[in-house]
Amino acid sequence: MGINVGYFVKESVTNFRRNWVMSLGAVITIYLSLLLVGVSMVTGYVISEVVRSVEDKVSIQIFLKDGAATEDVEELQAWLLRDELVEAVNYVSKEEALERFKEEMAGSSEIVDNIRENPLPASLDVTLTDPRQVEEMAERIKANETFLKVCDRPDDPEESLKYGQQIVNRLFAFTRVIRIIGVVFIAMLAVVSLIFINNTIRLAIYARRKEIGIMRLVGASNWFIRAPFLLEGVIQSLIGAALAILTVLAIQAAILPRLAEALPFLPVDITGSAMVQLGVVLVFAGVLIGLIGSGFALRRYLKV
Amino acid sequence: MISMRGVEKYYTPDAPALADVNVEIEAGEFVFLVGHSGSGKSTFIRLLQRELLPTRGQIVVAGQDIVRLKNWKVPYLRRNIGCVFQDFKLLPNKTAYENVAFALEVIGRSKHVIRTQVPEVLRLVGLEDKIGSYPDELSGGEQQRVSIARAFVNRPPILLADEPTGNLDPATSLGIMSLFNRINKTGTTVLVATHDREMVDSMRKRVIALEGGHIIRDQHRGVYGYGD
Repeated sequence: MGINVGYFVKESVTNFRRNWVMSLGAVITIYLSLLLVGVSMVTGYVISEVVRSVEDKVSIQIFLKDGAATEDVEELQAWLLRDELVEAVNYVSKEEALERFKEEMAGSSEIVDNIRENPLPASLDVTLTDPRQVEEMAERIKANETFLKVCDRPDDPEESLKYGQQIVNRLFAFTRVIRIIGVVFIAMLAVVSLIFINNTIRLAIYARRKEIGIMRLVGASNWFIRAPFLLEGVIQSLIGAALAILTVLAIQAAILPRLAEALPFLPVDITGSAMVQLGVVLVFAGVLIGLIGSGFALRRYLKV
Repeated sequence: MISMRGVEKYYTPDAPALADVNVEIEAGEFVFLVGHSGSGKSTFIRLLQRELLPTRGQIVVAGQDIVRLKNWKVPYLRRNIGCVFQDFKLLPNKTAYENVAFALEVIGRSKHVIRTQVPEVLRLVGLEDKIGSYPDELSGGEQQRVSIARAFVNRPPILLADEPTGNLDPATSLGIMSLFNRINKTGTTVLVATHDREMVDSMRKRVIALEGGHIIRDQHRGVYGYGD
């Protein structure tokens, strides 16, 4: 028994044409929900790139007092490296600190010129394996005795440490909110698309109830009867997904270069593999919505 | 070929549509099912098609216990049962040929099979000239012939007909009945539910009479037999 694929495609296309207003509604809602998925994926991608670049800059600086014993500094350094939260420790001498300062302040020469003796302390720059653990690590350092011996301000250990905890926290809070809003919107649009597909398939079933009755009568198998309707839902979703992908590409082409121009210090570029991933996700999400929506309609309206 | 034992069907709990039905129909028999409206004829037919499940009892059709039959196997049961109805159930946008071919298409028959069997069965029902006509270009009798051709094109061992002549005049009805007779002669078991007294009396086949959901008479070479 050869199943005729051409038959299913022909039937689905006929249904689509017969009910094109409803089908268009389904396509548009799927398109919008997938577009939102796409845009939030791109936004999420850009934000996480930004967060990563900021995170790279998050390190703990331990300021050392002038004349701290070298062996004590080395001991602290060794202790830090033994900690699993620490990725690297970098010693910055007073001279290096001054060099850096001069470089950063190159624009305001009067400040640089007025420096007679070096006011800057030497420091240890601690890079962490996970930037979110920065607070935890700072606490550990403050409790270390060697640290208290060598730090710049033994009377106030807090002042001898510098880290960008607040920036990181704020960024994480921001991305979390964005993510939640995105998920809620996408869920709502997905529900609307399901309802639309459900309705188009219901109309298609109604328009074809005579054929369906005869198919059942002469013994067409259940899947043979269902397949064109499932396929119709999937075709609608695929069209929606294709439009969404094209729109995301257009947005990327139109907006990202300007964004990159406006924010030159942030990495807002999207790699090709991320775009491929995006396309795959959208197509899969579309097919899933199509199958669930039409499957639901079939369960409710098509008694086989 | 058809066996019903202790079959009962209740739509509402107080009044049975069918009760205590015990029937054996052998392969190759021609049986009339007669009775007033509401006597249970249609329920009888729909139980055999497994459109309905009985409230109680056992039904065996073409060797299969259709009460226990799994849902996904029902289509395969129906390929063994041709069905003809009072309202023909033809698709208006398809020609006579396409209507018959549709029945083979949707059970996955090859184009070759369709091209040979459809003209043959249309010749059998006497419509070789009307192959390209749409249902609204055909008379009632011709439309019913198309629907019989569709029911028979797959050569099922059983043919069920529910009031097949209900919409037709007596002369046309006679032609339809003789067509059933010819189909029966090929070895097909034929069960016809009907009101048509003249028809039943003239054919002298087995008659099962229903009243209020009970079989009140089961008679070989019988007549319609109600005094109304």
